Order: sequence, then C-alpha cells, then structure tokens
Amino acid sequence: MRAFIARQGFPLTVGIVAVLFLGLFFLRPLVNVLGASLLDASGKHLTLANYVSVLTSPFFLGGLVNSLSIAAASALCAVLVGVPFAYCLARLPIGGKPVLLALAALPLVLPSFVSAYALVLLFGRSGVVTHMLQSLGIPFKSLYGAQGIIAVYTLTLYPYVALPAIAAFRSIDRSVEEAAQNLGAAPGRVLRTVTLPLILPSILAGALLVFIEALENFGVPFVLAEDRPILSVEAYKLFVGETTDNPASAGVLGVLLIVCTTIALLAQRMALARRGFSTGTRRSAPALTASAAQRRGGAIYCWTLVGTALIPFAAVVVISFLQFRGPVLHGGFSLDNFTELFRHSYRPLANTLMLSTLAACGATLIGVPIGYLVVRRRSRLSGLLDIVATSPFAVAGTVLGIGLVVTYSSGAFAITGTALIMVLAYIVRKLPFSVRSASAILHQIDPSLEEASINLGVPPAATFLRITVPLMLGGIVGGLVLTFVTVASELSATIVLYSGPWMTMTVAMFQALEGTGAGVAAAAATVLIVCTVIPVALVYRVLRRHELSML
Amino acid sequence: MSAITIDGVARSFGGVRAVDAVSLAVRDGEFFTLLGPSGCGKTTLLRMVAGFCELDTGRILFGAERIDTLPPHRRNTGMVFQNYAVFPNLTVGDNVAYGLRARRVKADDMRERVARALKLVQLEGYGERWPHQLSGGQLQRVAIARAVVIEPAVLLLDEPLSNLDAKLRVEMRGEIRALQKHLGITVLYVTHDQEEALAISDRIAVMRAGRVEQVADPRTIYAWPQTPFVASFVGTTNLIIGTIKSRDGEMLEVACAGGVLHVHSATGNVGEKVTLSLRPEALRLLAAGEEAPAGWARLTGTLGAVEYLGPVTRFAVTLMDGTALQMLALAPPAAAGTVTVAYDPRNIAIVSAP
Repeated sequence: MRAFIARQGFPLTVGIVAVLFLGLFFLRPLVNVLGASLLDASGKHLTLANYVSVLTSPFFLGGLVNSLSIAAASALCAVLVGVPFAYCLARLPIGGKPVLLALAALPLVLPSFVSAYALVLLFGRSGVVTHMLQSLGIPFKSLYGAQGIIAVYTLTLYPYVALPAIAAFRSIDRSVEEAAQNLGAAPGRVLRTVTLPLILPSILAGALLVFIEALENFGVPFVLAEDRPILSVEAYKLFVGETTDNPASAGVLGVLLIVCTTIALLAQRMALARRGFSTGTRRSAPALTASAAQRRGGAIYCWTLVGTALIPFAAVVVISFLQFRGPVLHGGFSLDNFTELFRHSYRPLANTLMLSTLAACGATLIGVPIGYLVVRRRSRLSGLLDIVATSPFAVAGTVLGIGLVVTYSSGAFAITGTALIMVLAYIVRKLPFSVRSASAILHQIDPSLEEASINLGVPPAATFLRITVPLMLGGIVGGLVLTFVTVASELSATIVLYSGPWMTMTVAMFQALEGTGAGVAAAAATVLIVCTVIPVALVYRVLRRHELSML
Repeated sequence: MSAITIDGVARSFGGVRAVDAVSLAVRDGEFFTLLGPSGCGKTTLLRMVAGFCELDTGRILFGAERIDTLPPHRRNTGMVFQNYAVFPNLTVGDNVAYGLRARRVKADDMRERVARALKLVQLEGYGERWPHQLSGGQLQRVAIARAVVIEPAVLLLDEPLSNLDAKLRVEMRGEIRALQKHLGITVLYVTHDQEEALAISDRIAVMRAGRVEQVADPRTIYAWPQTPFVASFVGTTNLIIGTIKSRDGEMLEVACAGGVLHVHSATGNVGEKVTLSLRPEALRLLAAGEEAPAGWARLTGTLGAVEYLGPVTRFAVTLMDGTALQMLALAPPAAAGTVTVAYDPRNIAIVSAP
C-alpha cells in the first residue's frame, strides 16, 4: 500500500483535487440547472411542465431554431472563408506570411461582441456608414438580425477553422498528392479527391468549435439580435426576470443548449470515427508553383479577409476617440469618452485585470498537472479527467453562471456576488484551454528525456521541476496569457455572476450599450482591446509556437 | 559493475504477454545482447531492468542485491536511449554532469570526471556547446558519456545505433565495444539488427514473442541455432523438414526433399521428425567433373535464379521435390541446367527442439 501511494501519489493528488474542483464547481451546478428545469414553481415536485411550456411556446421554439440555424450557418461560412484562406497561406508563396498568421489569430483573443458593436456603430440605424449612405440617397437596410450575427461570427471565429486547416494542409505528405497527379488526376481533382478528404477531420473539428462558440455566445446576439429570441440571451433574461425561487424556464433553456452542443460533439465524433487515417512519414508540401495572377489573387484574398475581420476593432478604437452627443456622433477628436468611462471609478478596469490574473493562474495551476497526467500517466482516471476537464467548453457561460448562482447562493458556502464565484467560473470555463495547451506541449517533449533524468538518479518530482517544467515553460506562459486575455473579454458568465463592486470592463461596456452611451461603450471596448493585444504582443514569440496547439 | 540476474520475469499488457517468464544470467563485465524482431519484448525487458516498466512476477538482481523493488532513480543504471534523450535545455557539459549533480559529487571532481567522459567519447572541448549544434552521431556520444560518467552498475543501451546512417552505425558499434572493454562494464544491449548483435556481443539472447529462444555466444547462435526461428532470424538459411531414417555412429541419414541428407549429430533418434538448417555458404556448387572434398555428401538439382550482389553471388538450386536451396558463392556459377551441390554433414544443424 505504501509502495502504491509512493508510486501513484502524484497522480492521485492531482486527480483528487481536479475531480473535487470540477465536481463542485462544474458538475454540481449543471446538475442543479437540470434539477431546476425538472421542478415546479414551488421547487418541490418533479414535473415536465417546464419543458412542455417552453417547447410549445412559439417564441422559445423560434429561439431554438434561430440559435441552431445561426450557429450552423456560421460554422458553414467559417469553413467557406477559412479553408481557402488556409490553402492560400499553406501552399501559395504569399508575402508577409508570419504577419498574416499573427493577424489571423488575433480575432480569437479579441472580444467578439466588440466586433458586433462596431457593426452597429458603422451600419446600425444611426451608424456612420448608414448615415453616409442615406445622405447620398442610397437605401440601406441595417445589419441587425441573423445576417449581422452570422457575419460577426464568421469574421471573428473563422480562425478556428483556418489555423488547424493550415497545419493540416502543411502536414499532408506531398508524395500522396504527387501519386494522385501521377495517376492522371488534374490539380483540381487532386484537391477534391485527396487533399480535402485528408484534412476533413481538422476542418470538422474547427467547424464544431465555431458552432459551439456561436451557440453559447451571449454578447453578439445581445447587441445584434434586437427582439429575435436567441437561447443564450433568453436564458439570461428569464433568469434575471424569473419571479419564483426556482429558475425553471431558464433551466430548460440551459439544458436545451447543453443538449445541442452534446449532439454536435457526438455527430462530429461519429463522422470522424470512420476516418482514422494519417499520412505516415511527413515530407511537407513545398509552396506551389503558381502563376503570378493566382499568387496575386491569393494574396489579395488573404489580406482582405484578415483586414475585414480586424477593421471593426480598428473602427471601434477610432470611434472611441470621437466626440458624441448622446448616441449621435458629433465629430472631432477628444478623450471625453474615456473620461466619462472612468468618471466614477477605475474599479472595473482593476477588477478585469485582477480577476483575469487570478483566473489565469488558477486555470494554469489546475490545468497543467491534469494535462501532464493525461499525456504521461495513461490510466482510467486520467482518461476520465481528460473528458471532464475539457467538457466545460461545451457549456454556455450563461448556463454555468446560472448553475453556480443556484448552487452557491445560500448555505455554508454562499459565495454568490463575490469575486470568488467569478474566478471559479472563469477557471472552469478556461480549464479546457489550459489542459489542452499543456498536453499539446507535452506531446512535443519526448518522455525519454524524463526517463533519462530519472535513470541518472534524479527522483520523479525533482525531474518534473528540473527537466519537464523548463521545457514546458514557453507553452505554460503562452497558455497563461491566452487564458488571461480570453477571461478579460468574457461576458456570458460574468453577466450572470457579477455584483456591483465586481463590475468588469465587459459589463461596463455592456451597460453603456444598454444605455445611450455609445461613446462610452466604444471607450470600454478600446480599453478591452488594449488589455488583450498588449499581453499577446508581449509573448507573441512564445505564442506563435503554440497558438495552433491551443486549439 | 555487477552481474545481472533476471529470474522468472513476466509482464502482460492487456492480454498480450510482452515478457513471458524470462530468466537470464548476465555475467559481470559481459557484453550481453537482447536480439529479436520488434514486439518481441526485448525493450520491455531492458526497461524492466532500468525500472521504467513494472514486473508482474519475478525478480531482478544486480550481484546479490535485488533491484526490481527500487525506484528507477535509485538503481544506478546508465541508460542510452534510442533517440539519445539529450536534454535540449542544458549544454553538453551540463548534460554529462547531470547524474553527477544528482549524486552530489564535488565540483572539482565533477569537472574532472565530465572532461574525462567527454574525452572517452572523443568530444573533448565540446562541454560548452548546445545539443542543437551537434550532429546525430555526436548526440549519441553525449548520451553515452552521460551514462558512463556516473559509473553505473550496468550500462543499458536501447537500440542506440538505429537512428544513425549505415556507415556511422558500423563505426559507432566498434567504439561502443572498445569502450565497454576499456571500462570492463556490464552491458545489456538491445537491437533488432542481427549483424550488429553478432559483431558486438559476448553473448546473445534471441527473443521471440516475449520468450528467450536461445542464449549463446555469437558463433554458436549462428552455426548451431536451436530453433527454426533463431536459424532464420540470424542470417539467412534453408530450413528443410525431414525424418531420421537411420543412424550410424554420429552420422544420420535424414529423408527429406525427395532424397536423403547426411547429417553429423550426436542426438536424434530414428523415426524422429526434424528441421534441418543449411546455411547458404555451407553449400558448394561443384563444377562439371569436380570431386567433392573428403567426407562431404552430394545433392543433385536444377540451377534457378542468379543474383549478382557484388562481392558474392546468390543463386537457388531446386531439388528433385521442388525445394529451393538458397546458396552463396564468391564467383557466379559457371554451370547451368542440372548441377551438383556438395555439403559438409558436420555443418548442418538440427534445429527443431527435441
């Protein structure tokens, strides 16, 4: 028994801590959401009435259809713009590839609802472009509703498809394509019959990420959907407005969201199960010899896509320095918006920085050991940990937030309304990224390095510190920063969990949006962009090696 | 430096018996090779000695001390990994000093021992370099220096040459052998390359499917394989199944291949079914009218395909019943059509286990 503990002590400790943490702050809240959806208003009797009332309501059914169709359309659009982009970048000799790659990854770390808000500022009812067009006498229908939401998702989420696809295009053994050509297939046919089928798993995985992100996103539909029902937004509205103690209807919507993502996950698994191929030894494809016209076309396409995705963010930054009178743009540069934003206090900015730092450290401390176990100590426990620790990404932030509030608003551990509950929610939500990034780096570190160290007389724990951690450091820092940045722009769980003193920048912007402070909202968005771009730029060299593994 | 005793060691993965009741005794200062195809359990056995793979049953001893219960970092083995496993975050010197630091060797002593180890592997003055500045062969030398500098009880080498190109492989195996003799250290060496095993070892254990088929010195392994597997895995051979027809002293007549083969052997009873191993170079094609050497026997067959390989020529002779004998000769065969093959009955091995 002592020998067993000595040998399994490290995995056991990590396993117990991880299971306890996820059990208390992820599984228990979800079970409570499920429970709430199955109880009547008194909270005492089991009933399916909530499901019946939601599923027979045209409003909520419409919300379900809206959510699913928008998510599916966004995934499709992301594939349609992302795969050609990946192909051009992987195979054509285009100038400025490193810059293109860096810029292409940027939308993933920038808050997507800022992009949605920029669309409103530019193309909304009183948008800059709308006004311009109208004054020129050109009729323009504003971009509210599904088309606007899909456009924003496509432009902010396409990197989820494009980045893995670039890696996949590059990793295809060139000789497989050469064999197809040698057998008489024209380049187009090779692409259709060999190349694309080979990278299909990467494309599907990316499309699934887009689908899930689009399904759970709160900020973008909140800005753009107007009165069209979207599940993640309606769950929040119901939860806030629910009069009874039991958040039954919100619970039903939450369960529906989880069911949708689970079905999507399973569908992707089944689609990929029969396609377990890899192309053995890799002789990566050289850049294609393309005509000057093709090269120019590819370059124009890539730069246009990257530019279009980033223009909204740039526009918001510019607009934040313009003068507003109420919602109306007045012209002239000033810092008024920022003065107004921070008139009451700098507290939201301080909160964002502090909570993001705490959450990033927490997610790293829990996620890295889990990643280590998953890769290095294969067992049933580590397999289970892998599944549980990476499943939070399939749960909408709103739903997790509701679950946490329901679970921890009373009793001995009543933490609702504190900073702690927010940090816990962030850690749970970002844990999949930490685990994935840690395991991705570990996959690149040969286990015989650790064995060599142990063989030379250094005990396992000391080996972990002296060999493994130094080798993982770049990846750990990269993961830490990406977690920080994505927490800083988190809105969907925050909006449910925050209380007055713990307002964050995202909430400040959200409130400015609800009010009439267009300029203030733009200023908040600019502050958020700065909060994300600066850390990413600082560790860019580290991230460049790992940005792909994060996905 | 010490002898290794592997006593009834077994390990299963899932339902597969990776190592199946293996017992071996490696002598002190011996160069002992585990030879076998991939998946035969040789690497698993080596990793059991190093402590990276647990035993289901059995014991492993260094000298009189039982070590299979010790954690890997306290076994004092020096291991050279297939992919070198040189720490990329440490310089060459720090890599070699790594095990000495773990043993808290004093700084002066350590510097001197590191320098000596680097000199031993012909990397004098490379201490300040980084691993990424070295070639594959040089990384291999660093890995060896790092393993021997701690003066381990045994040196474990896991296919150390498989990542090197053919020429460097031959050069390095000579160096490893010379180093082992110079240090007088016990070596357990894993390889799937039979030529390498024959060239470098004091003794070889041929493994197959988790079991040891035969343990012997290289000459015995090659000339007197005990099982058909050993005969065909080490070198090329012709395996022919037959029945012992008669015995006259130590000379047997074996009915096979549509005729009779004469075999010199002290064992084997009349009526017993046996497998014979005829090495290609033990057979000689007789020119027309040439007499077979004294004591040799003759076979008749038809000359088949001829392959010119440079220093030697390989060809096949088909016997009466259609059995094809692979043969080697220095010069391409002059004859054609029906030919006569001579063989020495003392060079034919009976390989099927009695």
